Amino acid sequence: MTTTTQAAETPRRTRTLPAHRLNEIGLVVAIVLLYVVLGLSAAGFLSLDNQLGMLRDAATIGIAAWGVTLVIIAGEIDISIGPAVAFSSVLVALGSSKWGLGLAGAIVLTLVVGTAAGALAGWLRAEFGVPTFIGTLGLWSVFGGLGLYLTDALPVVLPENGFLDVMGGSILGIPTAALVMVVLLLVFVYIAKYTSYGRSVYAIGGNAAAAELAGINLKRVRVILFATTGLLAAITGILLAARLGAGSGSAASGLEFDVIAAVVIGGTALAGGRGSLLGTFLGVIFITVIGNGLVLLGVNSFLQDVIRGIIIVGAVLVNVWAGRRSNTTRTS
Amino acid sequence: MRPTTSSPAIIAEVRGLTKHYAGVHALTDAELTIRAGEVRALLGRNGAGKSTVIRLLSGVENADEGTVHIDGRELGDGGVRRATELGVQTVHQELSLVPQLSVAENMFLGVWPRAGGRVDYAAMRRKTQSVLDDLGLRMDADSLVGDLPLAEQQLVEIARAVRRSPRLLILDEPTSALAAGEVAIVLDTVRRIAETGVAVIYVSHRLDEIRQVASSATVMRDGRVIDTVELTEASTEHVVSLMIGDAVRSVERPDRRRVARDVTPLLTVTGLSVPPKVDDVSFDVYPGEVLGIAGLMGAGRTEILRAISGFAPGTAGEVSVEGRRVSTVTPSAMKKLGIGMTPEDRKGTGIVPLLGVDENITIANYDAVRTGTTIRWNRLRDAAEQIIDKLSIATARADTPIVNLSGGNQQKAVIGRWLHAGSRILLLDEPTRGVDVQAKEEIYGLVRELADQGASVVFVSGELEELPLVCDRVIVLRHGRIVDEMMGDRLTTDSVIAAAMTTD
Repeated sequence: MTTTTQAAETPRRTRTLPAHRLNEIGLVVAIVLLYVVLGLSAAGFLSLDNQLGMLRDAATIGIAAWGVTLVIIAGEIDISIGPAVAFSSVLVALGSSKWGLGLAGAIVLTLVVGTAAGALAGWLRAEFGVPTFIGTLGLWSVFGGLGLYLTDALPVVLPENGFLDVMGGSILGIPTAALVMVVLLLVFVYIAKYTSYGRSVYAIGGNAAAAELAGINLKRVRVILFATTGLLAAITGILLAARLGAGSGSAASGLEFDVIAAVVIGGTALAGGRGSLLGTFLGVIFITVIGNGLVLLGVNSFLQDVIRGIIIVGAVLVNVWAGRRSNTTRTS
Repeated sequence: MRPTTSSPAIIAEVRGLTKHYAGVHALTDAELTIRAGEVRALLGRNGAGKSTVIRLLSGVENADEGTVHIDGRELGDGGVRRATELGVQTVHQELSLVPQLSVAENMFLGVWPRAGGRVDYAAMRRKTQSVLDDLGLRMDADSLVGDLPLAEQQLVEIARAVRRSPRLLILDEPTSALAAGEVAIVLDTVRRIAETGVAVIYVSHRLDEIRQVASSATVMRDGRVIDTVELTEASTEHVVSLMIGDAVRSVERPDRRRVARDVTPLLTVTGLSVPPKVDDVSFDVYPGEVLGIAGLMGAGRTEILRAISGFAPGTAGEVSVEGRRVSTVTPSAMKKLGIGMTPEDRKGTGIVPLLGVDENITIANYDAVRTGTTIRWNRLRDAAEQIIDKLSIATARADTPIVNLSGGNQQKAVIGRWLHAGSRILLLDEPTRGVDVQAKEEIYGLVRELADQGASVVFVSGELEELPLVCDRVIVLRHGRIVDEMMGDRLTTDSVIAAAMTTD
């Protein structure tokens, strides 16, 4: 018989929401507020052009953020996203122009290299216990250097191509990159909630030793986690190259920080064990809107970074405070 | 201990203390008064509210209602810092030492003595040694805590609390991980501490130990303080009846089970060696048999189970399932053959704290709850609720984070995990450690029921008295070797304890 421990009445009238719901609601409110404030103060913020442009910008962060969400839930980290995206844009550009692989060949090469590099970082963690901060730091450095080396720090132009035009443009008025982002979001929501791989990610992040004893293959999951972010970064790089019409070794600079910030603002704890893709989605929008707003307000580009940093820390502070207040879980 | 003509000062005064977590009334209206020099036992089943009282008294959490006064001063919401200021020291059930630092550094964690702006290691070492000497502990102040056996780590934890000269010392199950010899030192130390005028709260499930050290006992049940009794006057039955409530169940030896031993054993271990702990261990477990492995901590029990389940294979030896030798012993191979292990460190390697009870139960077998690659959450919840009902796991909802449950219910869920996975060879490592009286009996009943259905169960325990209550046969492990085997009439508490603890 199931004994419910006096769950019927709680002394307070309102049931406390779980922390992550509070956080998500807070983010929605914040985004709405941002829209109101920026709509009134920033010229052209609410214009269709700008909204579509924001969607495209969001995709640059969002696509990789889905994968990084799972990585952080599992208790790991991936700081290679920026250079990985840049290097992928370089690969697809070189592959389809100078190396003569044709566009299809170049795309395949880029996806394979990106996935394999990520898998390497995951394997180093799985097999040798190399912390993923270090593994992906290595990738960050190698990709960054290789991208500039192979191109002499100059952009490499992509050949004219109808497919590329669509990739870098829009379908039915909506930026293709944004469509890709949304499709991938749905895929990852499914993975996170409805596959044993997804549940294993949560289990490993919550207690890797217990997960292992229960029969979960830690090595396999860890390799797949980083192969995935590698693949996602490659996709982002290809889409970016399609939009710019060229591959550049210095593109997407600092993207890894925006991605991690979006994930953490969305409520995923750096300590691992909990988080949600919906939260990351809201985090991506939040960061994109702020970035866009600062540009439209004409804020000096260096000061933009300052303000973004303050806002990001503030958002996480609120997140942590909301978590403490919620108190639905024993702290020890 | 001894009443004096004038009542000693009141050290701890608790009035109307109440605390809730979502959906769970952990503590309601608790009242306690403890005087200087008194050792007060705190008794109750898991989930009765003892841990909550301790957390509130030590400032780890703040109460929803009620007051706590230490030495006349109010604790309020000041947290651990305030509680420490007022003289409350707690030795928690789970150790809070830093394994990579030395004994001395752990003793002065956060308050390392300084001289001239630098850490004064000499003074630290000296003071540590003097505290250890005062308590009669033979330990090197410079040894790394992580290198010490668990029992000695526990003693360091207690010494650390004592060093701060507390007014109120709270000991939460200080002997649950200790062997007989060390228990005596702890009890001795506690008596010595009380004699200096410190008020002591001693939480334990072991009545015989409590009688040796405490003068009175406060019994809790279902989040309330039921009564406080003088231990010299209260009988064991009376105390147990206060703890359990309606029915007093005396623990009797169940009827002997019939186990067929002329068939192929379900599990056979031959010549297993896992240096340095395990040396040439061989045994069989028959279908429907509960085999106990008796031994003290450090005897090698956990190593044997981990070797059989494939997580730390030995350097020599073979494992056979149903007569067929397993060529490569890996965790996934052994799991496929139907072996499931529950670890002794429930919190560290048993549960995934933030996931729900339902996910913790189904984590070892998703195939049963999914179609293709998609997990069907209604099936998952149904499967979990079946186990929850069957094992009487007390939880507000199926998806309550498992960390909210009491130890006994968490343990049942971990065992339930392998029921869900359909294991027929269960390796249970100290399954009743930190589990209350009622849940223990339920676990014994469950184990025997599983055996009745044809499973083989290996039941490892350091609480030697419980082995005759649940096992059909017991092998005794000492220093990594099997030294004795008992069943039938020979299997009694006395014989098991004697065999496990006799020195060569």
